Amino acid sequence: MAFSATFARFIRIPILAAMLGLLLSGCGVNNIPSHEESAKAKWSDVQNQYQRRADLIPNLIETVKGFAAQERTVLEAVTAARANATSIKISPEIINDPEAFKKFQEAQAQLSGALGRLIAVSERYPELKSNQNFLTLQSQLEGTENRIAVARRDYIEAVRVYNTELRTFPGVIWASTLYKSNKPMETFTTATDLSRPPQVRF
Amino acid sequence: MRRALLVLALLFGASAAYAQTPTFPQQTGRVTDDAGILDSATRAALVEKLAGLEARNTDQLFVVTVKSLQGYAIEDYANRMFRQWGIGQRDKNNGVLLLVAPSDRKVRIEVGYGLEGTLTDAITKLIIENAIIPRFKANDFPGGITRGVDNLVGLLLGENSAQNIAAQKSAGESKAIPVMAVFLTIWFLIAGWIFYMMHRRGLGGGGSNYSSGNHSSSSWSSSSSSSSSSSSSSSSGGGGSSGGGGSSGSW
Repeated sequence: MAFSATFARFIRIPILAAMLGLLLSGCGVNNIPSHEESAKAKWSDVQNQYQRRADLIPNLIETVKGFAAQERTVLEAVTAARANATSIKISPEIINDPEAFKKFQEAQAQLSGALGRLIAVSERYPELKSNQNFLTLQSQLEGTENRIAVARRDYIEAVRVYNTELRTFPGVIWASTLYKSNKPMETFTTATDLSRPPQVRF
Repeated sequence: MRRALLVLALLFGASAAYAQTPTFPQQTGRVTDDAGILDSATRAALVEKLAGLEARNTDQLFVVTVKSLQGYAIEDYANRMFRQWGIGQRDKNNGVLLLVAPSDRKVRIEVGYGLEGTLTDAITKLIIENAIIPRFKANDFPGGITRGVDNLVGLLLGENSAQNIAAQKSAGESKAIPVMAVFLTIWFLIAGWIFYMMHRRGLGGGGSNYSSGNHSSSSWSSSSSSSSSSSSSSSSGGGGSSGGGGSSGSW
């Protein structure tokens, strides 16, 4: 009899703890960290895709130079924009820093614009247009621009979920108690349409 | 109390449905011809090829034609459709979507994460430019789609190489029918038949479920009452995802 009473008391603690855990997770105590991690993961995907684009550019420039060296201004604009975009130090904190985020976004937008002009200019060179290497690079560039658009869309959605959680009930309770250091994240401001891949006609 | 809960549930449900998406046609298995550009013979042949592909290495290739892109870019539309339908197996993301929008004169091959190495952007571009668009320009939609699917399936099964496809160029039909094509056709017929028999015997009248764990019932709900003549080999996506790989073209 005494044994079973002790046993009952002994077993009650873990059960209570488990119930408390369930109750808390039902209240969304885990939501803020998990949404934060998800948004961070989406952000690193955005960065990866931008990096992938930057990696394609030197090869593209070499190929275009081979056929259209006289388009020096356009080529130099792309090189400069790429240098500018890759020179921005990207730390994970950038998504909480409006200034740095804006700078990053502007640099990438500038590079998008320069690349768009390069592709437009290369339309004028039939030999370049039919060059197999150029075609391959061009399709890779298109694909990368498209992946950037998808990664941005995913990131925007993840940030929306995270920021909403910070500002709405019940997340706002946890945000003001347990997770005081969690700040809303920055997100892209331009419409996704503006980052459409450059359309190329053959 | 119960009513309060209901109200709460409705509120949360409403906030979850916030993100706006295009509406997709009703999925009718591996081939969804919403635009109505495929004759039934082509359709049946395609379904057989695609079922054969999945039976062999679980890769899911879906062919979809839509009436309209509803103002979305084809890249965006295709990616959203790919994810909503969950094309490819969940653990491999080995899905491919061939999307044709005849009224917008746009075509796209959207490639799942897991197949980006096999179906690179460059090779999908070549397939679109060389196999599909020349036929679309001549209003031969069944021909273009069939040729595109043949190229994709050949690559996915490792029976055709990227160099081979690059070499085809847009020179039109090659004169000599390669032995490989004959071989492939026979193989598909056999594989399709085996698959069909397995499917009929193993799953009886129940829904198809050889795709791995897509428990959301959202996508696959067309029943045999739909006009699809080959509903016995319809399939739903396996939960795969895509990050925008592949290529698009217009004609």
